[in-house]
Amino acid sequence: MSTAPIYEIDPKTFWKDPYPDLKRMRAEAPIAYVPQLGATLLTRRDDIFENEKKIEIFSSDQPQGLMTVLMGQNLMRKDGAAHMAERKAIFPSVSPKTVKSVWKAQFETETAKALEELRPLGRADMVKDIAKRVSGEALKAITGLTNMSWQEMDRVSQGMIDGCANYAGDPEVEARCHDCTGSIDRHIDGMMPLLRETPDSSMLSVQMQAGLPEEAVRANIKLTISGGQNEPRDVIAGLVWTMLTHPEQLALVRDGKATWLQAFEEYARWISPIGMSPRRVARRYEAKGVTFEPEDRVFLMFGSGNRDEAAFEDPERFDVTRDTSQSIAFGAGPHFCAGAWASRCLIAEVALPMIFENLPGLALAGEVPFGGWAFRGPLEMPVTWGTIVS
Amino acid sequence: METISVTWILLDGTRKSVAVETGGNLMQAALDNGIDGIVGQCGGSLACATCHVVVEEAPSALPEIAPDEDDMLDMAEPERLPESRLSCQLVALPELDGIVLRVP
Repeated sequence: MSTAPIYEIDPKTFWKDPYPDLKRMRAEAPIAYVPQLGATLLTRRDDIFENEKKIEIFSSDQPQGLMTVLMGQNLMRKDGAAHMAERKAIFPSVSPKTVKSVWKAQFETETAKALEELRPLGRADMVKDIAKRVSGEALKAITGLTNMSWQEMDRVSQGMIDGCANYAGDPEVEARCHDCTGSIDRHIDGMMPLLRETPDSSMLSVQMQAGLPEEAVRANIKLTISGGQNEPRDVIAGLVWTMLTHPEQLALVRDGKATWLQAFEEYARWISPIGMSPRRVARRYEAKGVTFEPEDRVFLMFGSGNRDEAAFEDPERFDVTRDTSQSIAFGAGPHFCAGAWASRCLIAEVALPMIFENLPGLALAGEVPFGGWAFRGPLEMPVTWGTIVS
Repeated sequence: METISVTWILLDGTRKSVAVETGGNLMQAALDNGIDGIVGQCGGSLACATCHVVVEEAPSALPEIAPDEDDMLDMAEPERLPESRLSCQLVALPELDGIVLRVP
């Protein structure tokens, strides 16, 4: 355990709204040991930005970590050359060029289909009926698991996320996680022969084309699903809520004074969908008077760094015109989110403009609770819109 | 340790020259020397394009742009120019002594 000062949290309060505690930590104990989480938290933007790159100390290789144990060792749990080799192998499926030339049209088709189906109803739950589906359909295309339904995509993603956060060892959660990884493996089994025959730009196919070991291929598909479903889902719904509750910001976008991309980047800073990334301390290290011991668990708190008063003026204010270049919403360093360009395209170029264009008069129709600190987003979001009478 | 001189033309037009140890990349050199406008979010893993520079003067031919860098440069802000590079892909080698990079 590190020598960092101890900061106690109430896990339930922290889950509901972590920002007040994080603000206090940044001010009073920017590197703090939180006993309820069994980890030392780095909460200031520059500390995270600087230390995430020190992979020889803050290692991603966590053989005993739940993600590695339950999902296999994916590239996010490797460092150095081993990580870069797999990252290079998957690049053709998520590069800006592929996103633009291959995935964007599919994102548009599926989003249009979802909105056409829902539009006559005049109401929906933005999280469950729209964001989940748009996100799931995009992920089906990118992973190559087109034989899976979007509902199953969401289920298996959530099951793995819950499994990876199951520090209490609840056997039910673990069993559900195994069921989810089993489902993914069966869908991979189903797609592999087809993609061997007809290779494409999907994550599954490009890894097979690069000759990665099957174990790594499967682990990386699971990583993509565990990380590629909930973030776009949470940002799509969260950003719609934000725009509806900040009409002056929506007006800036509608009047062409700001772009959807700016709105997306600012939302990802303001309510980071991934609030935390864990690391294992590989060797003894001292930083800012704190000594870290080997095997200590460290949490890089992106969600806190993105509200760091030292990096952002009035950080709790949502402002689409803000310079977000200091944001660490996609991480900082070699593990920078590989899906960044796909998510920008899906959310800023496709989902948000299409939702506001196709659901005229979109309005909130009930409470919108948010939850989470490692992953954060709205839990439900009833909305209505005007139906077109023909 | 051998060093080379690297000059950045900053956003406000001023020039900043520093001695950079050979072997490292010029994105890291910019971060180490507090060059405003070079963010280097992904630490050189070719995933962010936030270390975009425009090469104003090169003492010798630069290494060719690899396909992955080329792809990423298309997404650079502001829009790429013929002399644009990602500074994470430029290594401080002795033949680049005197290179001048503009922060776009």
